[in-house]
Amino acid sequence: MNKQNSIAGYALITVGVALISAALIAGCAQPRPDTQAERDFSHMSPEAYAEYLIFRSGSFNLDQATQEGTTAADRMVQDPLQRMCSEARNRPQPELAVRIVGAARDSIVYPEGGIKLGDWRQGAELARSGTGFRIGHNVDDHSRPVGGNCYACHQLDPDELGFGNLGPSLAAYGALRGDSEAVRKFVYDMIYNPHSYFPCTQMPRFGVSEFLTQESISHIMAYLLDPESPVNSRHAR
Amino acid sequence: MLKNILAGVALAGSLAGGAMASDSPYLTGREQLLMLADDNPAELTMWRGEELFHQVRGPKNASLERCDFGLGPGVLKGAYVRMPRWFEDAGKVMDLESRIIHCMKTLQGFTDQDDPIARKHSSDTREADLVAIYTYVASQSNGMKWNPPMNHPMERLTRNAGEVLFHRRAGSMDFACATCHTTPRKRIRLSFLPVESNVEEWSKAISWPAYRIGHGVVRTSQHRVRGCYYQMRQAGIQFGSDASIAIISYWTHQARGGVATLPDLKR
Repeated sequence: MNKQNSIAGYALITVGVALISAALIAGCAQPRPDTQAERDFSHMSPEAYAEYLIFRSGSFNLDQATQEGTTAADRMVQDPLQRMCSEARNRPQPELAVRIVGAARDSIVYPEGGIKLGDWRQGAELARSGTGFRIGHNVDDHSRPVGGNCYACHQLDPDELGFGNLGPSLAAYGALRGDSEAVRKFVYDMIYNPHSYFPCTQMPRFGVSEFLTQESISHIMAYLLDPESPVNSRHAR
Repeated sequence: MLKNILAGVALAGSLAGGAMASDSPYLTGREQLLMLADDNPAELTMWRGEELFHQVRGPKNASLERCDFGLGPGVLKGAYVRMPRWFEDAGKVMDLESRIIHCMKTLQGFTDQDDPIARKHSSDTREADLVAIYTYVASQSNGMKWNPPMNHPMERLTRNAGEVLFHRRAGSMDFACATCHTTPRKRIRLSFLPVESNVEEWSKAISWPAYRIGHGVVRTSQHRVRGCYYQMRQAGIQFGSDASIAIISYWTHQARGGVATLPDLKR
């Protein structure tokens, strides 16, 4: 399959999912969910029953408003990438992996005037903050800046002891790699849509989802690449 | 001399009890938890739950002693490790928290608006009755092996759908339960993560109720499910909903054969 075809296929899947999603959202406007006692579910596949549980059983507060101006139902609808990676249990076969990488590359929008580094001090705050986009029983107030919560999964400043290890260590990231245009592009791509290099990675698509703004991405990139940033400066000692 | 040896053996035995023999960082990585394991504040909650369970309450002036948790009215020993399960009288698969509420309604006559049912979770100023009763009933399965029944078609469909939900990526961060619970020996910040495929870790991890040191109160299975969907930036899940029970059904099935620690102590 050439790239044109794979993108066309991807677009078709997207349209298909959008239609199904619309149908599901329409479905959850039903006045009252069926209960297990009233309805025979035994003919349903686990996948179909799972979709029923999410969108029509009343199990989720789907009408709640989100910070992005939609409702919680939209958060539950899977986009093509989420669906493909879930079904592949995050281990896509080579052909699918190539399609995912291609679509991810096409999804990346670069800032006008090139990729610039912001303020590493603000980046340090954003890398630590786990606030943003939570709904449910305690809705995040977006008058505070939305953080990237990088430390949940990565080591950055070697003096910060509270770091996770779901992702690789990024300590001394810029000190070891420099700050060339190629490095900047790679870091930007990884934050914006990491599936462009690692199909079905666990890492969020902070740019695609608009979880982080362009400005926040530039601050976090400075935290990673600026020689003055503690991520790098402590490496020289 | 013999006395010293015996004392030494006893000490070694108590240290080796449960988690100490493991190389799992989830089970052994937090010394603070291991040190406190013998003095679990959840026991206070359990004792209060025992009182509430036997107390005559509600518009129908009844205790919960006739509540059927799946092994017959009033049978508590081993009931919790065989849940969630299909209940013919309710016509649905229920977890322990939902079943307690069912009995508070049918036996005691409480309604959804009454505090004993309406208050689902504890705060630092007020412990929920439901959490206390749950802690007491669950504690009657301490040390037993998780063994939820899969005889009824709805029990199997519920578990299988729970597996789909567990792996289903969605929301602003593309997360699923699997994001944090499939790769061994990983941490979020300093918290070691239990893995669903490791029975030793998983059977301890799903051992709710647990006194959560960071919260200062006892938490439940339903509270854990809510917290996960919240952190995943997905829609808020409703207490006792069929989806929440599907997740709990799948996670209990994954712990099958592993020993339950009830009540547990967690970070």
